[in-house]
Amino acid sequence: MKYQLIETSAEQIESDSDRMLARGAVTRIGTSSAQHVYCPEEGKKSSAVAEILEHQEAIQVILRALTSKESGVLSDASGIGAVGHRVVHGGEKFSQSVLMDREVVEEIEDCTELAPLHNPHNLRGYQAARRILPHAPHAAVFDTAFHQTMPPHAYLYGLPYVLYKRHGIRRYGFHGTSHRYVSWRSRVLLSKPREKTRLISCHLGNGASIAAIDRGRSLDTSMGFTPLEGLLMGTRCGDIDPSLIFFTMHKEGLVEYQMTALLNKHSGLFGVSGLSNDMAELLEEEKTGHERAHLAIEIFCYRVKKYIAAYMGVLGGVHAIIFTGGIGENAPSIRERCIRGLQFAGVGLDHQLNEQCVGREMDLSPGSATAKVLVIPTNEELIIARDTFRLVEDLS
Amino acid sequence: MVPIGGEMEFRTIGIVGGGLMGRSIARELAADGRDAIVLELSEARVRECREALEADLDLELQKWGITETDKRIALRRIRFVASVEELSEVDLVIESIPDLMESKRRVMRELDGVLPKDRVIITNTETLSISEIGQASGRPDKVVGMHFLYPVAQTELVEVVRGIDTSDETFGVARHFADLLGKTIIEVFEYPGYVTTRAIVPLLNEAMYIVMEGVARAEDVDLALRHGFEMRVGPLEYADTIGLDRLMASMDHLFHELGEMKYRPCPLLRKLVRAGRLGKKSGRGFFVYDGDGNRVESGGGAR
Repeated sequence: MKYQLIETSAEQIESDSDRMLARGAVTRIGTSSAQHVYCPEEGKKSSAVAEILEHQEAIQVILRALTSKESGVLSDASGIGAVGHRVVHGGEKFSQSVLMDREVVEEIEDCTELAPLHNPHNLRGYQAARRILPHAPHAAVFDTAFHQTMPPHAYLYGLPYVLYKRHGIRRYGFHGTSHRYVSWRSRVLLSKPREKTRLISCHLGNGASIAAIDRGRSLDTSMGFTPLEGLLMGTRCGDIDPSLIFFTMHKEGLVEYQMTALLNKHSGLFGVSGLSNDMAELLEEEKTGHERAHLAIEIFCYRVKKYIAAYMGVLGGVHAIIFTGGIGENAPSIRERCIRGLQFAGVGLDHQLNEQCVGREMDLSPGSATAKVLVIPTNEELIIARDTFRLVEDLS
Repeated sequence: MVPIGGEMEFRTIGIVGGGLMGRSIARELAADGRDAIVLELSEARVRECREALEADLDLELQKWGITETDKRIALRRIRFVASVEELSEVDLVIESIPDLMESKRRVMRELDGVLPKDRVIITNTETLSISEIGQASGRPDKVVGMHFLYPVAQTELVEVVRGIDTSDETFGVARHFADLLGKTIIEVFEYPGYVTTRAIVPLLNEAMYIVMEGVARAEDVDLALRHGFEMRVGPLEYADTIGLDRLMASMDHLFHELGEMKYRPCPLLRKLVRAGRLGKKSGRGFFVYDGDGNRVESGGGAR
């Protein structure tokens, strides 16, 4: 359970001066050795291990930290004006953030079939927070919502149409909040109005996806019905020929859950390299001549480039290519390899700037480039806080 | 049991018996984030079972079903012990020892000595009477049967069996527990063989008769049923998987209880058991297997 406490208001949003007062995370909920890492804006990061058996207890632990005398940032919990929740799957029901009530919760439950691992988890967090903070409004911000603007020719698969009607089988896309944040930041950075920007956003982390964003609207994205499609990821395979699934199951004598685990947990950078799902580690190994580390990185960068070039076509040209996520923000050499050869399309990268840029917002292009290369550290929490604030404003 | 929001939470589960079934249940529980304490007869058995668990996990790793991390987590969550006192604080006990009435009743008496009176005991049996087992537990209303099919991880079905004394509440606990494991449940009332064993045994027996009478080779009988009726495993390989001695014991039991000829074990089955060809666990039954339980080509199998 990750959280941030953010101070915001209409003026602060206008002047982009929202304040993050504290952030933290509770991991290993449900065990006797759960860990709470708490980090106030000013002051020292602290970490505590305790028995935290369920979400409600975790939220109480978080509130105690936020309101503690020594390192707290609030005098009491009533200082929390509203709570925004990340929800992975909003299906076709939700194309933007909403305030949560009984009806919305039921509709999110209806989407559970599409995200059986995540949605129930997200709802448990909400129910626990509602019990503890019953008077605060709660909002849901969906990973899929941003991509609901995709046109049918981008979101439909070449399968019998009736499957879409019956079971909602289509491309949904994920990382929407991140793509939305970086596309907004890039407009600020480029000083261009929304109506005049065509962007390609590359969220490259342990999960990775790319989006084509035209005038602030997602036109296409590489993740599909689930987060398995598209780019090569830490342990996920990304695009494959679907026939391989049946062929592999037959040849290796696998059953469904084993095949699912193979595609999600044994593939990607880890599966190809046989070493690790961590890009930093693979880059180190590559330097020492590790062949399969090299191969894994090559496949990764090649796929990114292929999607970037495809989305240039989708958009009819591009003003900026944005890199974000753990790899996108911190691995200069990967950025360079992902766009190598795209100069013909006006993409320009200042190699010195690129080398210098680790984990901070920067334009990496020479002035002559028509397609800029930007690095923008993502900030999904800020979007969640602002959406929640706006919904609450509308309410009052 | 820690009741949260009116729900029962099973954090630590006791398992009696670290055999194939007990380990399989323990792995399911560990994968679901729960701790399992597995009781065995001796320190030597504790070591053996722990090694067997590691081998099970390595095999599953080879089949891509789990990751290295999953394996480490499972080894941390599953503990093997040799003393029944170690089970005194678990939320629930599943007994999963060989299907012999006397052993089951002895386990019940031992558990009754250490478990608080409100703890439910699930007995994993294929053919035995829950009512009779329950009598030895000092809490017959808290004893309920559960028949898992092998392999536990891949088979969604569990028969939940009510004995004559099993209370509705206890049945509810078993149902809830099976739900947590993601199993589909059927409710059955105590009767020899319940549904699954009673229905499958005559099929396995008939397949053996076909081989014995020289109508077809074991290989071809399995091929026919797999392809003809969309079975995942052929009946003879399935019999080898269960263990031919175990299968024979449950058939003898059904034959004895119900007195019907259709449950009388095929003479070929008796012959193989007497020869020590017990199936996968002994490396040879109707077919030949390697150490990992994979079929080895042997030119048609037993006849």
